[in-house]
Amino acid sequence: MSSASTITPIDQATPVPGRAPDRYFKHQLIAPAIFLLLLIGLFPLIYSLIVSFQRITMLEEDYSFAGLANYAQLFRDTRLWQSLLHTAIITAIALPIELVAGLLMAQLFLERLPGRQIFVSLLVLPTVISPIVAGATWRLLFDNRYGPINQILGWIAGEPVAALWTVNPNLVYPAIILCEIWQWTPFMFLILLAALSNVDRSLTEAAEIDGAGYWRIFGRIVLPAIWPVMAIAILIRSLDLVRIFDIIWALTAGGPGTMTETISIYTYTQGFNQFETSYTAAMAFLVIALLTVIVTWAIRRMGLAK
Amino acid sequence: MIGSGKILRRRGVVLGLRYVAAILLTIFFVFPVYWLFTISFKTPDEIFAFPPAWYPKSIQFNNYAVLFKDGDAETVWNSLVLSAASTVIAMFFGTMAAYSLVRFKTGGENLAVWIISQRMMPPIAIVFPVFLLYVYFGWVDTYHGLIILYTAFSLPYVIWMMRGYLEDIPLELEESALVDGCTRWQVLWKVVFPMARTGLFATAVFTFIFAWNDFLFAFVLTRTEVVTYTVQVTHYFGGQSNFWAKIAAMSVLGTVPVFITVAMLQRYLVRGISMGAVKG
Amino acid sequence: MADLRITGLHKRYGGVHAVRGIDLEIPAGEFTVLVGPSGCGKSTLLRTIAGLEETDAGTIQIAGQTVNHVRPRDRDIAMVFQNYALYPYMNVYENIAFGLRARKTAADEIDKRVKRAADMLGIGQLLDRLPRQLSGGQRQRVAIGRAIVRNARLFLFDEPLSNLDAQLRDEMRGEIKRLHREIGKTMIYVTHDQIEAMTLADRIVLLKDGMIEQVGTPLDLFERPATRFVAGFLGSPQMNFIPGELAGGVAQLAVRLGDGKALPLPEARRGALTAAVGRPLVLGIRPEHISRAVAAAPRAGQVRIPVAVDLIQPTGSRTYISVPLGGIAATAEVEPHDVNRVGESIEIDIDMNKAILIDPETDKVI
Repeated sequence: MSSASTITPIDQATPVPGRAPDRYFKHQLIAPAIFLLLLIGLFPLIYSLIVSFQRITMLEEDYSFAGLANYAQLFRDTRLWQSLLHTAIITAIALPIELVAGLLMAQLFLERLPGRQIFVSLLVLPTVISPIVAGATWRLLFDNRYGPINQILGWIAGEPVAALWTVNPNLVYPAIILCEIWQWTPFMFLILLAALSNVDRSLTEAAEIDGAGYWRIFGRIVLPAIWPVMAIAILIRSLDLVRIFDIIWALTAGGPGTMTETISIYTYTQGFNQFETSYTAAMAFLVIALLTVIVTWAIRRMGLAK
Repeated sequence: MIGSGKILRRRGVVLGLRYVAAILLTIFFVFPVYWLFTISFKTPDEIFAFPPAWYPKSIQFNNYAVLFKDGDAETVWNSLVLSAASTVIAMFFGTMAAYSLVRFKTGGENLAVWIISQRMMPPIAIVFPVFLLYVYFGWVDTYHGLIILYTAFSLPYVIWMMRGYLEDIPLELEESALVDGCTRWQVLWKVVFPMARTGLFATAVFTFIFAWNDFLFAFVLTRTEVVTYTVQVTHYFGGQSNFWAKIAAMSVLGTVPVFITVAMLQRYLVRGISMGAVKG
Repeated sequence: MADLRITGLHKRYGGVHAVRGIDLEIPAGEFTVLVGPSGCGKSTLLRTIAGLEETDAGTIQIAGQTVNHVRPRDRDIAMVFQNYALYPYMNVYENIAFGLRARKTAADEIDKRVKRAADMLGIGQLLDRLPRQLSGGQRQRVAIGRAIVRNARLFLFDEPLSNLDAQLRDEMRGEIKRLHREIGKTMIYVTHDQIEAMTLADRIVLLKDGMIEQVGTPLDLFERPATRFVAGFLGSPQMNFIPGELAGGVAQLAVRLGDGKALPLPEARRGALTAAVGRPLVLGIRPEHISRAVAAAPRAGQVRIPVAVDLIQPTGSRTYISVPLGGIAATAEVEPHDVNRVGESIEIDIDMNKAILIDPETDKVI
């Protein structure tokens, strides 16, 4: 931490001559932000909690107290568990691929390479476009007849390939995962490249002189050094993967059927297609509660707030 | 004990291999964007040619013209208004809050943790309760409704990033200003904000991009009055024949501004997207 | 233990020609110090010997084996870095054992060697600490421990003491010298500090602008410098350089200074100079060879002249005074209580036996 934060806060230390210290200055500063955060973060949550105890559905607006009926139903809802499974599958496959690919790419660009700047600026493009646009783009790419992917596959196979990427149950997951890693591997790549560049050169030199081979140096010197940054990147990415919505919406909208329905899509469907208001409220509340616990634990564990 | 005298690989060969790998990777990551752009320039015959044409015979802007004629291009303007307004407000309140956290440790660790955890909340879980609330207030499909939401959602990011930038400002500058006779607010305006201006700028850009690229919030909280370009793109999805030209053109319209901005801000890119984890 | 032979070494960084044609032979077991001002190429030279940098031209041979294209890990060398380069996530034991583990040494052998090295350096009780828990001096010892435990044939030191405070530096200097005596390996030591060079080296290699200025034992370089640079680099306070010209005739040669004073040269020096009367010279004389006149008459080879004292700087054991001589402010060394007042007029004895004459055009010592 910078030395600034260990100095006694000004208003408690030395009163400015001629002026009454602004006791409430620090509160005034942060009040608007807190207000907005509460407005969007807390109040809707409470409101939704209330709703989740009621019985508002598509058919009727019944405000009577339903106790934990909605929550109980959550546990019985197989479609919910399936959506969690779908989410887990996507996360478990995409995250390691992004991590390893990002690491390999970072290693590739680590040493001096003339024109590196140009490569890096180009490689960044997928990450800065809107995920919905990314999904739309790949939808075009995956098109059966007019998309270049089937065209290329056709060249390799020697005959026209008719692969329905967004409909074929065997192909939808690869399609989604491919689009996802296309968009987000550069994110990992950038962060890991910066982290690797910051590793103290003399450590790897000393290890080399000591006789360590490439893998030993990487595993025992480099990896521990970049771990803090890598951990944050993994945290950000895994949370984003759990929340994945746009890409799937653009490619399959959860289909075929509910095959690629993740928790976000299921929640959306329940709330805005089925208008199962109370049920969705319960679902949303549960998800938030769960994630709050996990995230708070992770943040404290990594000492991020300091 | 002495090695067998392994010869260091000739630099040229390794470098060559690296270039090949770099080019292949670049092709993989850039091609889809290229494809999107070319579709936006193609005529319908070219788009629906089989086998697909790899580049348009000529660059024609017809698809874009259609968007402007139909008024669809207005959605880009909507996105701009929403993103800009929410960014300005979030930067303003967020930086003030960050300053409070950094200089005065307001609320201690707990407050800081709570604020950051807000960033990590899943949008869908947040947006549903917010939607209910908005229905109650009649804020659905309004500009201010979405602006408030974007602002609130951006605040944790702004606070988090500005914390890092503000910590780098030497305390002595502020103390010197206080001694010179400034009030707290003046110190904030005359000393802190100017010193942090590069950080302010970089954070503002990334906040803007997050709002600009958003789909879910806009999708849920708007109907017909306030449509962003991201939502508009999905309007072109059909059952069998998507309006490819429109999808592509609309997407490009929404994407080019981001490309330009990011190209100008290369330096801050890493710090911006890693939430300050790395001072790239 | 191995000897080192470098021929025709060149190294460029982009536009900078850091090492320009170095030829050097270092016998096995010697402690050689590469010293020079910053930018002279000493670190670059060391790093090419280590294999951390590639050479543009020339050869490096360790024990007769050409190692230009051999990776650092196969050159069987050990290196101590300026910032210690300790692995922050391993404790002291692991840091020292790292190289041995990499070469798959048996665990009990590792244990034996690590403990022996740690005891030798007095850090035996710190083995389970992490680097960040150690002081600067302790970290330095760990870095040295890591180097000696591998029994390499060549030891390289890259300004290891620069990051320590003065007192610690003195202490560590002694330790390093003692270390060399104990393990006797060939050691190459880089520093910019001439005191370290003088006290540690068996031989000094003085570098300037990527080239060797002079090689020799410390006293060699000190008493018989080859160039003005060498003369001015070693010795603190610095040698006085006074411009003048050669005067006199067959019977007696003298150096005539800018202010007209003539300082006769002793017999022994006259030899090669006779032909060049009138040529410009620079007289080099160290402060310790200018003293306050005490005896009734100057000794043989000494010249006595009156001067006024300009500045007095006592250091405790010696006092340095600044006197105008030949147009410059020369420094003379006197006993602590010899001179008390600024402006005092005294007489000084200049020992011309110890003076050197420099050709101002080539900067070489005549």
